[in-house]
Amino acid sequence: MTCDAVVKSLPLYFYGEVAPDVEDAIEEHLGTCALCREEWERQKTLAAALDRHVLSPPAALLAECRHDLARAIYREEMPAVRRSASDPWGLFREAFSSLWRPGIRFRQPAGAVALIALGFFAARFTGSWPAGASLAGFTTPDAMVSSIRSVQPDNTGSVQISLDETRRRVISGRLDDHNIQRLLMAAAREQDNPGVRVESVELLKNRGSSAAVRAVLLEAVTRDPNPGVRLKALEGLKSFAGDADVRKTLAQVLLKDQNAGVRIQAIDLLIANQDAATVSTLQTLIGKEDNNYVRMRCQNALRNMNASVGTF
Amino acid sequence: MLQDAAGAVSARAVAKVDEATVIRAVQRGDQDAFEQLVRAYDQSVLRLAMNLLRSPEDARDVYQEAFLRVYRNIHTFRFDCSFHTWLYRIVTNICLDHLRKRKVRREESAVVETADGPVDRMDSFEQEGTHANPERRFWNSQVGNRIETALGDLTPRERTVFELRHYQGLRLRAIGEMLGTSEEAAKNCLFRATQKMRVVLGDLV
Repeated sequence: MTCDAVVKSLPLYFYGEVAPDVEDAIEEHLGTCALCREEWERQKTLAAALDRHVLSPPAALLAECRHDLARAIYREEMPAVRRSASDPWGLFREAFSSLWRPGIRFRQPAGAVALIALGFFAARFTGSWPAGASLAGFTTPDAMVSSIRSVQPDNTGSVQISLDETRRRVISGRLDDHNIQRLLMAAAREQDNPGVRVESVELLKNRGSSAAVRAVLLEAVTRDPNPGVRLKALEGLKSFAGDADVRKTLAQVLLKDQNAGVRIQAIDLLIANQDAATVSTLQTLIGKEDNNYVRMRCQNALRNMNASVGTF
Repeated sequence: MLQDAAGAVSARAVAKVDEATVIRAVQRGDQDAFEQLVRAYDQSVLRLAMNLLRSPEDARDVYQEAFLRVYRNIHTFRFDCSFHTWLYRIVTNICLDHLRKRKVRREESAVVETADGPVDRMDSFEQEGTHANPERRFWNSQVGNRIETALGDLTPRERTVFELRHYQGLRLRAIGEMLGTSEEAAKNCLFRATQKMRVVLGDLV
């Protein structure tokens, strides 16, 4: 190969995108040509400089993207809400019916969308209503209606609505702050939002040395309906796989969890700290497991423990 | 060792089977499965968009548009390529549109939102250098500026191919498939992109 041909091929050679015979020829040439070796070094320096220039999206941006997507999906799902945009009471009804509907996450922004819209329209009405009209409470941008307490019409054609309002508040603090931890533990149990739960468990998972945090992780592993949250919680329990309560929960997960990934992780944690009960748990699992890969992992684990695969 | 390799192959096979199950569930209208699918890929989609467009706002738009397209068109996915390829094809097409529009507008944000607030890309690049050494910091800043210029000088297609190969580690064959072109054309794009960058970065590398 000539120097010119080698230099031209260096970028593709760097990315492993040349044929094996060309690769051999380049390597042979580089072994004998100092000028081409210098070019090769420049190629590697360029790649290293570019590597240092990579951008990683911040976690907050990812969370915002997920939130925006959930809202957009909701709007796709519920064209009726868009159609009724001129009718705040229609939005209001939608909001409450959706809040009570059992949880599909991408539909959850329904309440928020509708209530924000209601707030928007109510604010517009407030602006045009005569003084003394009592919808002023809706004008606060961060306020959301959580429940209606009473509705009372009067003789003049007006109606008085008593409602509870919730207000968004942003709290920031360090992870070792006790109050922040308490909020995260509450968030890990946030029934309606698996996104919040998964982020909270992710933050709590390195704090399993606290008994309260460990209890939250154990609860998430056994009760959370979202497998992503359960897997995160299992990660948090990794360092405590020798603890009796944790082992009991792991055995329970192994035999009851519907998700194969979760069961595999539970096997890994159990066999990392084997005890007398591990063998019987794995043997029981093999008897009822329908996933080939999980069964194979169980069999391997039992063999490594010199235990029989079946029960007799 | 062989057992580990076999285990890894089995794990990949299981992952593929599971993904196919999830996709079928999404095609049946299962919202939880859709969420599972989004979460499996959304970080890499956002990273790709962010690095291609160098703008958090545009990356956010691409994220939403890409997954909405997936949501609307998942019923047309026939498993004749991997879901990853299908998704990245959508994402790169949207990014290419953004880059082409930007070529017309000639605008690009230098500021990136981070957890600590807005940060200039060059500043964040500098942070990777040695703070205590001003000479080193200056050098890093020079390289960072030149890299931005070099990336800005690439055509949308060159930039996309370069990003997918250098940062995402995809093979040129797969990149060609995603962009609806041949492996050879992708190879030429990568070559041109690298050459242009070497010219712009000049004596700094």
